[in-house]
Amino acid sequence: MNEVVIDCLGEACPVPLVKAQNKLNEMSVGDILIVQIDHSCAMKNVPEWARNDGHNVEVEEVDDGEWEVIIEKSK
Amino acid sequence: MENKVENKVKFFDRVKKNEYYKKWIKSPFTYLTAAILLAIFQIITLAATGNPWGVSGVFAYWGAWLVELFGGSVDKWYYFASQGAQSTLDAGFLAHAGTWRNIGIIFGALATTLLASGFKFKKIKSKKQIVAAVLGGLAMGYGARIAAGCNIGALFSGIASLSVSGWVFAVAMFAGAVVGSKLLVKFFM
Repeated sequence: MNEVVIDCLGEACPVPLVKAQNKLNEMSVGDILIVQIDHSCAMKNVPEWARNDGHNVEVEEVDDGEWEVIIEKSK
Repeated sequence: MENKVENKVKFFDRVKKNEYYKKWIKSPFTYLTAAILLAIFQIITLAATGNPWGVSGVFAYWGAWLVELFGGSVDKWYYFASQGAQSTLDAGFLAHAGTWRNIGIIFGALATTLLASGFKFKKIKSKKQIVAAVLGGLAMGYGARIAAGCNIGALFSGIASLSVSGWVFAVAMFAGAVVGSKLLVKFFM
């Protein structure tokens, strides 16, 4: 099982979403992708896409205005 | 004293877990809720000021007042040539309803992010971001002025007034957004 962190702090939509999508494509089932974001709209669209795609998703508020979206690739 | 501090911490911890705080203040509204609120406030704006809602046109007036503040004059500028524009300029910064709306947007946005404890100074990741922000801002500002409105004044208010121009604006804006997204993916991925 691999764990990959991508740093999208300071990046505006839709950059975090596209980066997360590209990265997850390269990963295998069971791997964990952690997307670090500080743009509140990415906090909406990244989890939404990942859940619709059928992955396990958790959002963690790590600091004021800073989140980690944790995605487990499920298929 | 120490006791007081402790109580305070507990108070904010309680607020953080409060169901209504989470629902109304912490989490963003759905698109539907926001759309309904926008429609209501558009109606109030039209009823109260006699004009539909606009945002970017106000900034052009702010710019003109800034020029006047430094002793310049925009009387001869084509953009401000109309009688209406001249009387708005003469009435001054504080008398313009749009001034207060825009100040409300800026401080309202600040207040919401502070209330949700989501305020953060974001770092600038690269020089590319600065270039893109400046070029994008200039293009949007210039475009909004030659189109006589932005996505609020020309699109939202235009369509709400049953004007065809709002739909023309929508088509052009969609095309612009497609080009913008392509450029964004090309330069920021």
